[in-house]
Amino acid sequence: MVIGSALIIGAFLVNGRRPSVETQQPDAAFVRASGKCAECHLQQQYSVVHEYEMSAHARKGVNCLDCHAAAENQQKKEHHGFAITTHMTAGNCRSCHESVYQEFLRSRHAAVSWAAVYGEKGLTPQQVSFAEQYHPGYAKRPPHPFVTLEGGSAMNSGCDQCHAIGRPNDDGAVGTCTACHARHSGSVALARLPTTCGQCHLGPDHSQIEIYEESKHGMMFAAQEHLLNLNAPPKALTTRDMFVPTCATCHMSGLNGLKVTHDPSERLSYYLADAVTNKRPNYTIAQANMKQVCNQCHTKPLIDRVYQQAEQVVASTNDRVHTAQDIMNSLRKDGFLAGKPFSNPIDFVYFDFWHYDGRTAKHGAFMGGADFVQWHGNYPMLKKLVDLRAMSDEMRKKR
Amino acid sequence: MTIPEKWKADHVLWIEAFAASNFAFLTLDIYMAHSVNSFRRQAELVPLFFSIFAAVVMAAAIAARERRPGLWTVLGHIVGWGSLAVGVAGVVLHLESSFFAERTLKSLTYAAPFAAPLAYAGLGLLLIMDRMVDAQSREWPLWVLLLALGGFAGNLVLSLTDHAVNGFFRWAEWIPVISSAYAVGFLTMPFLITVSRPYLSLCGYALLAQALVGVAGFCIHAAANFHGPSAKILQNFIDGAPPFAPLLFPNLAVLAGIGLWVLSHGEATE
Repeated sequence: MVIGSALIIGAFLVNGRRPSVETQQPDAAFVRASGKCAECHLQQQYSVVHEYEMSAHARKGVNCLDCHAAAENQQKKEHHGFAITTHMTAGNCRSCHESVYQEFLRSRHAAVSWAAVYGEKGLTPQQVSFAEQYHPGYAKRPPHPFVTLEGGSAMNSGCDQCHAIGRPNDDGAVGTCTACHARHSGSVALARLPTTCGQCHLGPDHSQIEIYEESKHGMMFAAQEHLLNLNAPPKALTTRDMFVPTCATCHMSGLNGLKVTHDPSERLSYYLADAVTNKRPNYTIAQANMKQVCNQCHTKPLIDRVYQQAEQVVASTNDRVHTAQDIMNSLRKDGFLAGKPFSNPIDFVYFDFWHYDGRTAKHGAFMGGADFVQWHGNYPMLKKLVDLRAMSDEMRKKR
Repeated sequence: MTIPEKWKADHVLWIEAFAASNFAFLTLDIYMAHSVNSFRRQAELVPLFFSIFAAVVMAAAIAARERRPGLWTVLGHIVGWGSLAVGVAGVVLHLESSFFAERTLKSLTYAAPFAAPLAYAGLGLLLIMDRMVDAQSREWPLWVLLLALGGFAGNLVLSLTDHAVNGFFRWAEWIPVISSAYAVGFLTMPFLITVSRPYLSLCGYALLAQALVGVAGFCIHAAANFHGPSAKILQNFIDGAPPFAPLLFPNLAVLAGIGLWVLSHGEATE
């Protein structure tokens, strides 16, 4: 009896030393998930375990099943004794980060991003009307002509890879948080890196990463990244942590006590991506919000000057686009331009004119990218306007 | 069918039959256990094939025992030493899964059960002992008891680590731990002091309790698996609570019972 009792006491003592985060779980499957998943995945897909172990989720005791348990309306899949989902969506993250999800839902990263390619297709009427409240005309729209012209493979491997950030999911949730935070690292630091935003905000049509890299902000980031505290908690972030801004710092972070947001629209005052840029419905408050962020490092005169100059670029770009639109509309009206969109060479010149050069000039002006305002923006616009006129004249002559 | 009288007193045969039936059962058990891993490494097939081989060879050895005792000895040694090798190699390979990388209790808890392959080592030692120790000596039943004691110690470790995976979420998961701890305590005493026949009888009741715990465990594990997450029952049995693990309790109770029986019978006739 003595030997047996001693063994039992020993067993109780060993078990009692286990971390409560492993044992204080809602059911036995969650306890098993705190170690059993890693047992297999250390052998297969090792990086998912390694990434998770480095994450804030791991430090806070969030285990595999906390995220992989099927959320409402998600299909469960049996996986070695666990009922899980492998198709993760924002619907899984929102179980802990609901307010963040709601902010994301209001942003153009959500349904609007998807609708920019596929229109309303796949979105529920409720999702469309929700997005329309904040971005009128940007969710209730037809699919982009390229969906038909370029076909499914181009969409799947091209446009989808970025615009799926606002994908309507089978579970009713919109979007995926892992587009910026990655899956198993769930990283704030990753989302703060310019290269993360640059996965999608790059190239001639939205060249924000290139503009940032040219800007003083980007140059200083390249030199001083190692001195920044990219892992600082979002609600406690200060200019001591991020004394050089990245995209997230200005557009989303709660610097020095300012409100954190997952809706970049809260700080954006213009629809710069449009052919003709108009003020956003929340222009005044959004601009005030962004200027407040700028003010954490810069003085008011400088901020006002940057905005004033950028708004002048917006106005001049709008004028040029209006001129180009007049040429195109006139050709169409007079019967010189017919057929489907993107069926004439002049369609492409016009599209590149505003979609590449116009956008680039405007983004460059707001983001401190002088070369992009001029040599990647205004100069090609000037050239293409001449081209447009010449092509228009040619078309009229041929007729 | 009646059992011949000579078999009833032939405790060497009981051990042989015990080992042969265990190897046969281990075939099924190891198939399910390594199916969790989908037999990812080829080495995981070794105990499966060895169990089949050992069960067949032991059946042949038992059949040859009366007419060709030399063959019985040789076959038993082959299976015994082979089983010992499989068991020791199994422990090393199971520990390899993460213990040597992390060397923590957690890595023992969630890794492949490191003590499980010792079942092969135990059966191997049992067969070797059955051939090397005089069956009429007092040492023979003590060796049997010692191996049963080792088995219950293994059961203690296995039930502790297996249920730690669940975080002992249900209080009933402590029952096999407590039960096997007392079994270890009871079976240790004959090696420390001279025990009386009433104590051996008490051990018999303790073993009966072990058997009941094991059967109850089997039922609980099986019932849980009928409500597992997979639509396929077999998959739930493979990935869920190991249904055959609790049967180690009655199995070892039988082995210890043989040792106790022979020990008490021998002492009575001495």
